[in-house]
Amino acid sequence: MSHFTNKRQNLITFLLLSPGLAGFFGLFFYPMLVTLFRSLRPEGQTSGWTLGNYAAFLSDPDFRGIIWLTFFLAITSTFLSILLSVPLALLLRRKPVGHRLFRLTILVPITVPGLIGALGLLLFWGSRGWFNLLLLQVFRLKAPLTINYTLTGLVIFYVWHYFSYTAITTLSTLEGLDPAFEEAARVAGATPWQVLRYIVIPLIMPGILSGSVLTFMAAFGAFSIPLITGGNYRPLSVAIYKQIGIFIPARWSAASAMAMIMAALQVVFLIFYMRILRRPMA
Amino acid sequence: MDDNMIELRNVTKRYGPIVANANVNLSVRRGELMTLLGPSGCGKTTALRCITGQVTPDEGRVFIDGVDVTDVPTHKRELGMVFQNFALFPHMTVYENVEFPLMIRRVPQGQRREMVMDALRLIRMESYAQHYPRQLSGGQQQRVGLARALVYHPKVLLLDEPLSNLDAKLREEMRFEIRDLISRLGITALYVTHDQAEALALSDRVAVMNAGRIEQVGTPDEIYESPRSRFVADFIGLSNFIRGKVLAIERGMAIVAVNHIKLMVPAAEGTQVGQDILVFIRPNDVRLFPVDFAKAENTFEGVVHKLTYLGDTIDYRVIVAEGVQIRVQTDGKVRFNAGEAVKVCLPEARCRVILE
Repeated sequence: MSHFTNKRQNLITFLLLSPGLAGFFGLFFYPMLVTLFRSLRPEGQTSGWTLGNYAAFLSDPDFRGIIWLTFFLAITSTFLSILLSVPLALLLRRKPVGHRLFRLTILVPITVPGLIGALGLLLFWGSRGWFNLLLLQVFRLKAPLTINYTLTGLVIFYVWHYFSYTAITTLSTLEGLDPAFEEAARVAGATPWQVLRYIVIPLIMPGILSGSVLTFMAAFGAFSIPLITGGNYRPLSVAIYKQIGIFIPARWSAASAMAMIMAALQVVFLIFYMRILRRPMA
Repeated sequence: MDDNMIELRNVTKRYGPIVANANVNLSVRRGELMTLLGPSGCGKTTALRCITGQVTPDEGRVFIDGVDVTDVPTHKRELGMVFQNFALFPHMTVYENVEFPLMIRRVPQGQRREMVMDALRLIRMESYAQHYPRQLSGGQQQRVGLARALVYHPKVLLLDEPLSNLDAKLREEMRFEIRDLISRLGITALYVTHDQAEALALSDRVAVMNAGRIEQVGTPDEIYESPRSRFVADFIGLSNFIRGKVLAIERGMAIVAVNHIKLMVPAAEGTQVGQDILVFIRPNDVRLFPVDFAKAENTFEGVVHKLTYLGDTIDYRVIVAEGVQIRVQTDGKVRFNAGEAVKVCLPEARCRVILE
């Protein structure tokens, strides 16, 4: 009897799990596997094995530049996102007038599709955009600043598009922080700066880190922003796209090898990050 | 020389239409442990925050050790404070928590270590120096909180409901430990609580607060024995209130008419003939006698309406005159049954007049 119910229960469990498993294998595992196989096939063929695609990319004179640019953009924009998010969160936590609208505004960059955002950014920061109009008309600058298609511009666009993740988690961690800790520090003699440095920042660090990893991962894999606004700056995702979007016939195997390298870098980074997070903190 | 360590002078604080503190005057003398007692929402937290500087009063001044600190920021007030939820820094060890005020003050390393260990020894936690707060019990955490507040020898110690997050038994133990520690150090302390038993057991003086005002300040004995208002009487311990009219005052005794009975009560200052007043007496001061008991002062016939057995005491509700119900608590030696006729005695010396 119990044996029978046990089997029955197992079956039910399996049936309930199956949509999830199907999704996991169909949408994640299978494409990854196909990409892996593709990266090991000679270009344009469906049989045979080769490491040539990896060798070709790794020995490409552009390879180092691409990897460096990808990391530079991801790390710089993550770092700037943190610098932007912490003061913003400290400000919004005090619930100033209009803080609700501001909270919504933070979400705009992740809700707007990358393509639309990118076009908007080009218009705003262009030599005839509002930013330069402000500089010329209000601050009386002689010539417009060139932002679009520069590295600085690209970093600004990355920050705009990906800082939300960091800002949201930082804000929610900060709002979950018991104000008694700060009061205790104040009464004990700490200046507002010391409270921030010794109490608030260390206590919200896990929130900052978990948000910034999202910003980093998204920035590392950014595609539409650098594709449209990058000009000559092509990070890994754009370089991959070039293999299938420009060459005829498309170089699927080369693209796949690059994608595998990209995935490997991300996994390595994640493991490294998890190590940091798991360090005993609070 | 001003001997008040903490003084609130005519402090008023409003939050929109709500008056949290209405013209509060409070002084804590040097070396004294004063309790600020009141129900939640009575303004005691606001008063405390005026002292710490987290709240700036709309009107009035705050003095610490004779210095007007009304406009001095919190971190420059040299206070020690213990919090209801302990507020130990979770990312620091016990040692680092206690060290924090010294680190902020840039006390030299060697001296710092000595002071931290002294403070930890004071609360018998020196062997827990390297533990994190989450590894400690509530009572241990609160002792560390005390050490952190005392380590830099602040001018005054503020305690904000420090025991209300602990279980009942521990609370009682800690009560004596805190009392003992404060007397040993001779530090001035202001203890905020809503627990009247705690206030009576701990304090040199108690300030009872209600609706943003200080109702009465006095020793625990004065507060308990001679409450000046209905609120104070009611808040601290059990009370009977009997409404009556003053018929006459003779040699300090007021004769009060309650329905068709007359009570003799020591007159309070300002009692006037013809005035409607309340007669107050604690249930355990009322005596019950068998109905054939010879008549004595303030003794009336009544009927036991209800009784509740409470172990060491029995709680009776006795109806004396029509509509006058008196609560009596006696030890269980002589017992009466519900419905039984009894004599109720309200000893004159135990009755108080409360003017409304």
